[in-house]
Amino acid sequence: MQPDNRAGLIPHALLAGCAAALAAPALLAAPPAPVAPTVMNPPPQPKDWANLATLPDWSGVWTPNVSDQEKREKSDPIPWTPKAAAQVAHLEAEERAGRPRGLFVNCLPESMPSWMLITHNAMEFLFTPGRVTILGESDSNRLRRIYTDGRAHPPDPEPTFHGHSIGHWQGQTLVVDTVAVLPQTYIAPSEAVGVPNNGDLHIVERIHLAGPDILQDDLEITAPHVLTKTWKTSRFLLRQRARKYDIVEGVCLQGNYSAGTDAAGNAVFVPVPETEGGNWLPPAR
Amino acid sequence: MEPKTVKNPIVPVVMLGCALAVALPAAAHHSFAMFDFNKTISCPATVTEFRWTNPHVTLLVQAAVKPGEAAQVWSLELTSPGNLTRIGWTHSSFKPGDRIELQFNPLRDGRHGGAFKQAKIVATGQVFTSSVRDANETPNLK
Repeated sequence: MQPDNRAGLIPHALLAGCAAALAAPALLAAPPAPVAPTVMNPPPQPKDWANLATLPDWSGVWTPNVSDQEKREKSDPIPWTPKAAAQVAHLEAEERAGRPRGLFVNCLPESMPSWMLITHNAMEFLFTPGRVTILGESDSNRLRRIYTDGRAHPPDPEPTFHGHSIGHWQGQTLVVDTVAVLPQTYIAPSEAVGVPNNGDLHIVERIHLAGPDILQDDLEITAPHVLTKTWKTSRFLLRQRARKYDIVEGVCLQGNYSAGTDAAGNAVFVPVPETEGGNWLPPAR
Repeated sequence: MEPKTVKNPIVPVVMLGCALAVALPAAAHHSFAMFDFNKTISCPATVTEFRWTNPHVTLLVQAAVKPGEAAQVWSLELTSPGNLTRIGWTHSSFKPGDRIELQFNPLRDGRHGGAFKQAKIVATGQVFTSSVRDANETPNLK
């Protein structure tokens, strides 16, 4: 594109020089790398919607069996490396002493794999063509997109709290493969005890109905920097159909604010005075 | 209703020694190990604020946990709004000024906080409890 010279104030020779200078780096640079073709997600066809009817019924809201989780803290030992085990032992001792570490008090997502393993809150499963979506309650960003359209993991996926998940159906079981989870996310048997996965986390899940209204997630968690071998564990969820179980919105950071009014009379969020760690203070006495 | 303790009559004496610092661990999902579930404090209280927010609902009350003691602010922590909805709570279950008969498990370190256990609204007799385990760990299909 030629520089705009409608005002006629810039000599054409100068413009030509400028244009040459601008073009020179492009001429000297290496040829541009071939651009990968844009991959399109095709619109679902009637058969794709019809095929959803062949999948198992995971409708309803699912609440976790936290009592089972607590039993597993003893019965389902995690194969920690010695270094990780020492950290875990310290955190366990702190909790026993009434000083639990708040792994999740920063309001960041519980993330993978902890969301699936230790949340105390409900979740739901949505089936659409080419995808299973898991939505959680509390922490508005509890969300997993599991692509079931046959794609592979991207070659260089961006690490995220829940990672990149691809899945396929083996009969009535959804097999999910997850990579590219942020190294900071915890492998944690409880909300007070856990160690960051520290990278290269790989999770394989087999999610299936273990009874008419029990959903079982069998997880194989490979975390070579903190585990000596793949940890195989399970999580159980109970189906709820009573409408009072419908998922409600929950924004973790809302707890740091109270409802207030500004000088103009607007309804606003007012920060609640906090101590270190974001804990609330009761109002001044 | 006179304040009383269940299981451990020493609690009011312990409470006399409360520090003035009254922080409550309530920012997000966390262990409740800072609360002493072997101690239950029962006392009349007046609601000052009901914070129906994630991640944990908080009930602020004025309460005298020892007979003759001046009422002070206590902060009682609960689970999430979603979980409480399943056992009959709403965002308007309590309002400032409600007089209640309160039970809670205090913080181990003596600060003025605790895990909410149960409250009965004096004016209506309505009772609210806090445990969601039974509601969440069995299917509710009807």
